[in-house]
Amino acid sequence: MDNSIWVKMHGGTTHFPIALVMASVAFDLAGVIFPDNVDRSRRAGFRAAGYYTLLLAALGSIGAVVSGLVISRGQLWGRGNLAHHHTFLWPAFGLLVALASWRLVVGSRASNVAFRIYLGVSILSGGLMAAAGYWGGELLLNG
Amino acid sequence: MQIEIKATVTALAAPAIMLAATFSLAQVLQSTNGVDSRHASETKASATQAAVVLGEEAESGHTLFEKNCAHCHGDDARGDEGPDLHNLKLSDARIAKRIREGIKGEMPSFAKKFNDGNIQALIAYLRTLKD
Repeated sequence: MDNSIWVKMHGGTTHFPIALVMASVAFDLAGVIFPDNVDRSRRAGFRAAGYYTLLLAALGSIGAVVSGLVISRGQLWGRGNLAHHHTFLWPAFGLLVALASWRLVVGSRASNVAFRIYLGVSILSGGLMAAAGYWGGELLLNG
Repeated sequence: MQIEIKATVTALAAPAIMLAATFSLAQVLQSTNGVDSRHASETKASATQAAVVLGEEAESGHTLFEKNCAHCHGDDARGDEGPDLHNLKLSDARIAKRIREGIKGEMPSFAKKFNDGNIQALIAYLRTLKD
């Protein structure tokens, strides 16, 4: 298959996990910060939104990683900006899969303490994802 | 509490499995493209050998090349995603222009990243690449 198709696919797929992880963190934070309403639906709604956006982010990241590996011809590290990109990408990808798996198993049964730890790790994951995206952009624009 | 422990165990196992699958895919892609570790170490050795005999400017260009260009043009500049850079027939001015402006859809512009001295150093290195 023409390599340019994979390049386009990588460009198309990478933005979903980045945006969805950020959105998931924002929804979960909103669920913690904003007071619940009388029928207790507000926090549950934010958590459900955070849950589904995170699962979609994890699914989307698989396409992004596969297309990225194809265009770099299987390079796991590389040099220069590619190495910077991978330095943040691999921990971000690992954390994202871990967070999605944790949430998939625990569902809505997490204690407040466990959920706050989860939230801290998901903020870290979002930061790593953003940094990986930044270096990906540098790689595209400045080589 | 028990469900959280179960979830944490799953959360530790899942990325390990995913990363192992990813690294296996990388191995397959590397072998498909003939970039096995033996080739990589041979390339590195020949690059190091080449650096010994380069002049100061070309050596500086070689360092810039390794950091910024090698992942597309290959460690030995024999071409990978980008073309082979040995025996270039282009003039210095044309090479400098291409580095500065890039090629739409194929190569990024390095105008913001490299100053004139950097580009001269890169050209000096590229001029050492002959069969």
